Amino acid sequence: MPELFDRAFQYFIAPAGSDERGDGTAARPFQSLERAAALIVDNHRKELPAVKVLSGGDEVELVCLERPGFGSPLRKQPRFRYFVAPDEVALAGDGTEAAPWPDLESAMAGVLQIHAGRQLRAGDRIQLTRREVFTAGIIERRKVAVDRLAKVVLAAVTAGLVLPLLAILSYLFTKAWPVLSWRFLIENPQNYMTAGGIWAPLVGTLYLVAISLAIAAPIGVLAGVYLNEYAGDNWLTRLVNLAVVNLAGVPSIVHALFGVGAFVLFAGFGRSVMAASATLAIMTLPVIITSTREALAAVPQSFREACWNMGASRWQTIRTIVLPNSIGGILTGVILQVSRAAGETAPILFTGAVFYVAVPDRGLASIFPYSLNDRCMALSYHLFTISTQVTGVSEALQYGTAVVLFGLVLMVNLVSITVRVYLRSRKRW
Amino acid sequence: MVEPGHATHIAFRNVTVRYGAKAALQDITLAIPRHQIFGIIGPANSGKTTLLKCINRTIDFVPGVKVEGEVLVDGENVFSVRNVYDLRRQIGMVFPLPVGLPLGVYDNVAYAPRMAGVRDRAELDALVEKCLRQAALWDEVKDRMQMLGTKLSGGQQQRLTIARALSHRPKILCLDEFSIAVDPVTTMKIEDVLLELKREMTIVLVTNLVQQARRLADHVAFLNSSQLVDVGPADVIFSERPGNPMTFDYVRGLFG
Repeated sequence: MPELFDRAFQYFIAPAGSDERGDGTAARPFQSLERAAALIVDNHRKELPAVKVLSGGDEVELVCLERPGFGSPLRKQPRFRYFVAPDEVALAGDGTEAAPWPDLESAMAGVLQIHAGRQLRAGDRIQLTRREVFTAGIIERRKVAVDRLAKVVLAAVTAGLVLPLLAILSYLFTKAWPVLSWRFLIENPQNYMTAGGIWAPLVGTLYLVAISLAIAAPIGVLAGVYLNEYAGDNWLTRLVNLAVVNLAGVPSIVHALFGVGAFVLFAGFGRSVMAASATLAIMTLPVIITSTREALAAVPQSFREACWNMGASRWQTIRTIVLPNSIGGILTGVILQVSRAAGETAPILFTGAVFYVAVPDRGLASIFPYSLNDRCMALSYHLFTISTQVTGVSEALQYGTAVVLFGLVLMVNLVSITVRVYLRSRKRW
Repeated sequence: MVEPGHATHIAFRNVTVRYGAKAALQDITLAIPRHQIFGIIGPANSGKTTLLKCINRTIDFVPGVKVEGEVLVDGENVFSVRNVYDLRRQIGMVFPLPVGLPLGVYDNVAYAPRMAGVRDRAELDALVEKCLRQAALWDEVKDRMQMLGTKLSGGQQQRLTIARALSHRPKILCLDEFSIAVDPVTTMKIEDVLLELKREMTIVLVTNLVQQARRLADHVAFLNSSQLVDVGPADVIFSERPGNPMTFDYVRGLFG
C-alpha cells in the first residue's frame, strides 16, 4: 500500500522481466508500469476517493527498482516529471506544466502512452506533481530574470559611481592632512604663498558667491515665474526659452569675455568684486530660471484652475498656492548654483580675481576685507596659481586648498539636500 | 440689458467653440431660466463641459481656443466683461474630479472670500460652517478644520469642492458630473442640497446620469456631437414625445 513520504505517494516497480505480483511497496513492487497504472488508479479510487485530484503539493512517484526489496532508488537516473491539474476543470493535456492532465486516471493513461515504447530502467523515477494554481510560464520566468538582471546592473553602476568619489575624497584628505587646521582657514597666505593659510581667497569666494546670488536669484526666480505662469505660448516666449537654454550651454570662458566687455569696460566697474560677481550671476541665471520653471510646473495645474474658478487672480493664485508649494524646488535650484559659482575660475579670471592681495586676517576688518570696487582673491583661482604659477608650494598646501573648496561645495549641497528632504516630508498632496 | 428678476438668467446666442480645427460646440442657442436647475445631458465628448466653461470664461485658459457668439449672464455678454474676476465671483464651479487645495479644510473654504477681501474672522467662521453644512460635509470635518484638504477621501474632497464653490455666494452654480467620485448616499444628500439651493441661485447641472437629470432638473438640454439636439422643460424631454426622437432614444438608453 502507498507509503507517505513528505506528502508524496511513492510506489515501486520491479525491473523489466520480473514476475513480481506486488502492490507497489519496495518489498513487493509492481510487476510493470501497466500493472502500476491499473492498480494505482484502482487504489486511489477505492481507498482514497478524495484523491482523484491531487491536493496541494502532493506528488505520486513511481520508482523503478534495481531488484525487488533493494533499498532506496538511485538518485542519478533521469526523472520524468509530469503534471496534474490543480482542479477538475482542466482540459485534456499532455502532462506538461503548461497543459497538465485533468486527473490521476488520465495522468496514468498518459504516462503509459508516453512510456509505451521505452523500458523503465533501474532507478528511473516518474513523478506526477500537482501543478500549482499560479504557474509561471516561460514569459513570466523571463520577466523575473530580466528584472533581476536589470536591478543588479543598475545597482552595480550606481555603486561604481560612488567608488571614484570615495577615492577622490580619501586621496585629497590624505594629501592635505598635514595642513588642515583652524589656522589654515583664518590666516592669509604668507611667504609668496608657500606658507600660511587661505583666508583671503576663502573670504573672496564667499563674497563673489553671495553677491552673484543676490543678483541672479531674484532676477532668475521672477523671470521663471513669469515664463511659467504668465507667458503665453507665442514666438517671443519660445525665443526667450531658446535663449535661456543656450545661455546655460555657453562655456564659462565665453561668459568671462562677455563680463570683461559688459561689466569691466562698458559698465565701468573695472576689474572688481562687482564685475566678477555680475559675470558669475549671468552664468548662473539660466539654470536658476530653468529650475524655477520646473519647480513651478510640478505644482498640478488643477490647483490653479480651482483657484481661478473661485475668482482668484493669477497673482493671488501664485502667491497663495503655487509659490508656497514650489519654494522648496526653487530654493534647491538656487542653492545648487552656489557650488557652481564657487567652483568656476574662468569667469572671474579677467573680471576681478587677483593673484595676491593682502587683506586683514585678524579682527573685525577681516570679515569685510573687500569693498565692491576691490579686486579679490578666490579659492578656485588661488588653487590654480599655487598649483601652476608659483614654485615651491608644498603639496599639502595645494591639496588643503582643494579640500576647503570641495568641502564648501559639499556643505552647500548638504544644505540643499536638507531643505529638499524637509520640504518633501511636508509635501501636501 | 435685461433687468434682474427676468426669467432668463443665462443665454447662449449662436455660440460656436473651436479647439483648432475641431468644433466643440456648434451654434448653440439656449436660455437658462433663473432659480431653476438646468440639466445638460449627452454622451461623452458632446461639448457639455465646454458649455460650462463658457459661462465663467475659464474657456480662456484652454490654449488655441476660438469662441464665436455671445453668452449673456443677466443680459451682459461675458466675453466683453472687463473684469473677469467679478464674473467668476458670481459663478460657482464644480468639476468631475475633486481638487482639494493643499491647504487646511477651513482655508480651502475660506479661500475665495479671503481672495475677495473678507478678513473678519467671525464672518469667515460663519461662512465656512454654512458652506460645509450645505455640502453635507460639516459633521465629518468639524473637529479637524486644519487637516489638509488633499488628505480627505475622494468623496469628501468633492464635497469640499462644492463647499468652496458656494463660499463666494454665487448667483450661478455649475456642476460638471459632480457625482462621479461620490458614493450614492452622499450623492443623494447633495441632490437634496441642490433642490434647496435653487431658491437662492441658478444651477446648471451637467450629468451623465439621465436619472439624475430626471430627478433634479426643471429644464433639460440634450447635446450630441457638439450640437444642441433638444432643449425644453424636463417633463417634455423625459416624456414619450420630446422635441426630437433622438432624445427619446438617448433617455431610454437606446444609444449613447
